[in-house]
Amino acid sequence: MRGTGILFRMALRSLASHKVKSLIVGSIMLFGTALVVVGTALLDSVEAGMQQSITKSLSGDLQMYDSEAKDDLALFGGMAMGADDYGEVPDFARVQTVVEAVPGVEAVVPMGIGLATMSRGSELDRTLDALRQAARAGTIAGEQGQALVARLERLIDLLRTELINSRALLQDTTEVDAQIASIERARGDAFWAEFAADPVAALDFLDSKVAPAGGEGLLYYLRYLGTDLDQFARYFDRFRIVEGEPVPTGHRGLLINQRFADSQLKLKVARLLDDIHDAMTQNGARIATDPALTAKARQVASLYGAISLMLSPEDAHATETELRRALGITDGTLDTLLEALLTVDDANFAERYALFYDLIGPRITLYPYRVGDVVTLRAWTRRGYMKSVNVKVYGTFKFEGLERSELSGAANLVDLMTFRDLYGQMTAAQEEELRAIREEVGLEHVGRADAEAAFFGGDADSQVTGAEAFGTFDEMHPPTSDERSDERPSEAARRTITDETFTREQMLDGVVLNAAVILDRDAQGGTGDIEVARVRVQAAVDAAGLKLKVVDWRAASGIIGQFVLVVRGVLILAIGIIFIVALVIINNSMLMATLERVREIGTLRAIGAQRSFVQAMVMIETLVLGLLSGTAGAGLGAGIITWMGHVGLPATSDILVFLFSGPRLRPTFGASHLLIALVVILIVSLISTWYPARIATRVQPVEAMGDA
Amino acid sequence: MTTHTETPEAAPIVELIGVTKDYPLGKLTVPALRGIDLAIARGDFIAIAGPSGSGKTTLLNLVGCVDVPTAGAVRIGGQTTGELKETQLTSLRLHKLGFIFQTFNLVGVLNVFQNIELPLLLQGGLSKTERERRVAEMIEKVDLTPQTRQRPNELSGGQRQRVAIARALVTRPAIVMADEPTANLDSGTGGAIIELMKEINRVDHTTFIFSTHDAHVMSHARRLVELVDGRIVSDRAPDRQAQPEGA
Repeated sequence: MRGTGILFRMALRSLASHKVKSLIVGSIMLFGTALVVVGTALLDSVEAGMQQSITKSLSGDLQMYDSEAKDDLALFGGMAMGADDYGEVPDFARVQTVVEAVPGVEAVVPMGIGLATMSRGSELDRTLDALRQAARAGTIAGEQGQALVARLERLIDLLRTELINSRALLQDTTEVDAQIASIERARGDAFWAEFAADPVAALDFLDSKVAPAGGEGLLYYLRYLGTDLDQFARYFDRFRIVEGEPVPTGHRGLLINQRFADSQLKLKVARLLDDIHDAMTQNGARIATDPALTAKARQVASLYGAISLMLSPEDAHATETELRRALGITDGTLDTLLEALLTVDDANFAERYALFYDLIGPRITLYPYRVGDVVTLRAWTRRGYMKSVNVKVYGTFKFEGLERSELSGAANLVDLMTFRDLYGQMTAAQEEELRAIREEVGLEHVGRADAEAAFFGGDADSQVTGAEAFGTFDEMHPPTSDERSDERPSEAARRTITDETFTREQMLDGVVLNAAVILDRDAQGGTGDIEVARVRVQAAVDAAGLKLKVVDWRAASGIIGQFVLVVRGVLILAIGIIFIVALVIINNSMLMATLERVREIGTLRAIGAQRSFVQAMVMIETLVLGLLSGTAGAGLGAGIITWMGHVGLPATSDILVFLFSGPRLRPTFGASHLLIALVVILIVSLISTWYPARIATRVQPVEAMGDA
Repeated sequence: MTTHTETPEAAPIVELIGVTKDYPLGKLTVPALRGIDLAIARGDFIAIAGPSGSGKTTLLNLVGCVDVPTAGAVRIGGQTTGELKETQLTSLRLHKLGFIFQTFNLVGVLNVFQNIELPLLLQGGLSKTERERRVAEMIEKVDLTPQTRQRPNELSGGQRQRVAIARALVTRPAIVMADEPTANLDSGTGGAIIELMKEINRVDHTTFIFSTHDAHVMSHARRLVELVDGRIVSDRAPDRQAQPEGA
């Protein structure tokens, strides 16, 4: 346009001569631009952090699962708390072959998510197990054996008290009366004489008649991910063994997430102490002022009984002596000493916390498993019956940088064979046998559950299937207390179970629920790259006739993956509101300025300026202001992000650790953030000046005429 | 395009034929001009006089192409303004007309030089050097060289009007419209400005049409048209001995 130079000159002069107006509007624009830069850069950094957290811990870059699945894949937990139906991928080996041939794909890692209960039996169960071993070794008469007997007697006494108390609350006391009768028999001298003569028979009695009254022991809900553990360790960079060792290739095994162990499995009293410790040291909370901590401290003090029960007689004695010295209390029993130890306040907490881990910790079982233990996992198979698998705990692991995150701490790892057992996959031979049974019983229509009950039920002798070779125990219904002794494998059985190995072919050939696709390192990064790869992989599986849905890490992660989208929405809303306010203010002030300049605009029109010139004059003024304050704002935003990147934003909660992919977020910005902010502010400038400019173009040249 | 050559000397450069202009005032219609017939020859130097409300300004607005008649026709250089689109009218003003306003109407944020340069920038087409030469020449003509870089608010009323006159003349328009051009100038400066206008009128054949109350200014006119109640009451050569009217 003619006179562009003069337009800019006029704009600059005009801005300079209306300093207050320019300053106010400019400040709003500057603040808005800085907000856009900081907001988008922060969000992108969080997204990148979250992408790291998700892709390097569980999801990989892409995930594939059954295209007919009822639920959307949610690796970090969905709405159904582990009961989601992700369908299944029946032939993983084929999927792997097809997808690994796609250019840009580095590896395909098989997966299967499930929820199981984990138990190690109650304290009574474990004491009985230990005694059985002692009996077998003939060491019951020894000091160790006698200590076990003493603990057994104590546990029986406690159980009796518990049952008598609960009897008072029951209407039908038949069962509990029988249990109490058995316990009374176990407390009699006659029984102990029998025990001395034939410990195994006496232990059988206790196992079948007394132990069931003691309950399951604690059951823990365990979310697990079955996978190719070797591949997993190789492609998921965040994976680190904390304690123990990786599950050896071709072996079954369980790796427990350290975070899960600390926050869910650990002995309650220790967990509470840890919580208080973390809150005090990390967040500076105080027991006296924080109601949650006050409640926890009170709870800690009430849990002394659980500790004294776990101590062996000699440990109890040693602990008593040491506690007396440490706490300076001369009288009282072990229980009162423990209660005193666990009565914590802000002043003594650090000392008591250290004492607990120094004196008590090494003598009790802090976790319901030890590395090397065999634990029982139970899960409902998808066909609706319960399945138990005994599996060795090889160790614990963490996802580096996400140690404090509950989200990534929710998954424990098992080998793929164990997953399949818990999932209840039937081999071809099993399917064949099931069909044979159907024919044999002569039913035309056999309900699925009935047929499987017929197949999987019955006594142990009938379980001559492939699955059993790997040491699984099938049951047609959840265990009742009467069956408990039958379902618990002996120590010898446990050893054989866990010694079984499998080949890579066996592992890959079978059902999985989903699979992670790892892309080539150099192809990774941008969302665009991943989307391109996703489309390519989807095309490949479609072409191969595999009924698979390929989704990116964000979609695969469940609700958490949508988090950034939600925050982005909120940010856009906030920026939108700020800019709408800015828009109104700019519009208003430009309108006022235009009205003040009616005579000047009329003059310009009279001497031959077209409407377009007048429009440009008004708009360029705001654009110049937008450009100047936008540049300053972008600079300010860049400065803020640089500063944040330098000091790091602390992740103050578990979810932030996950989103930041570590304890601190060090945000960065790119040219795109600055550019977006500038474009946004310029668009806002244009929109806000549209109306004043329109008014200005309507000014008639005749306005210049006549007297002022 | 600063001079006008197509129109033969004989043909009028401005022609008003039966021009009526009404202004709506609420539900009423106020007639400002009632059947004006006027032909102004190229190179004329004509004063429009008359009491307030007689229609002087309306007449100037119509000839200055900032307004169009309700009835009748206004022809500028052969073009009928009522038939032109708004952009064409604007272009006509830019290229053929120059304006001098009673209240100067300078652009406050621009300095003397920039104010005078503005119409040339709007026209475009001149090199920077030529433009600057023309502006400097105009500044010299209106005797404002020392004030070249000053802003309007740093100038006296007389200086401001000289800037306005320079701005109107810088494009060398065929017609210059001047609404009471010397009303805010002292008589000495006013006289000098009139002399300057006459000089341009003589050299470039620029047509000058101005309204005025000033009998001295009227006396410089070659032709004096007097209006009363929207009608021409006299059209003659001015009385050279006329005394200034009471303002």
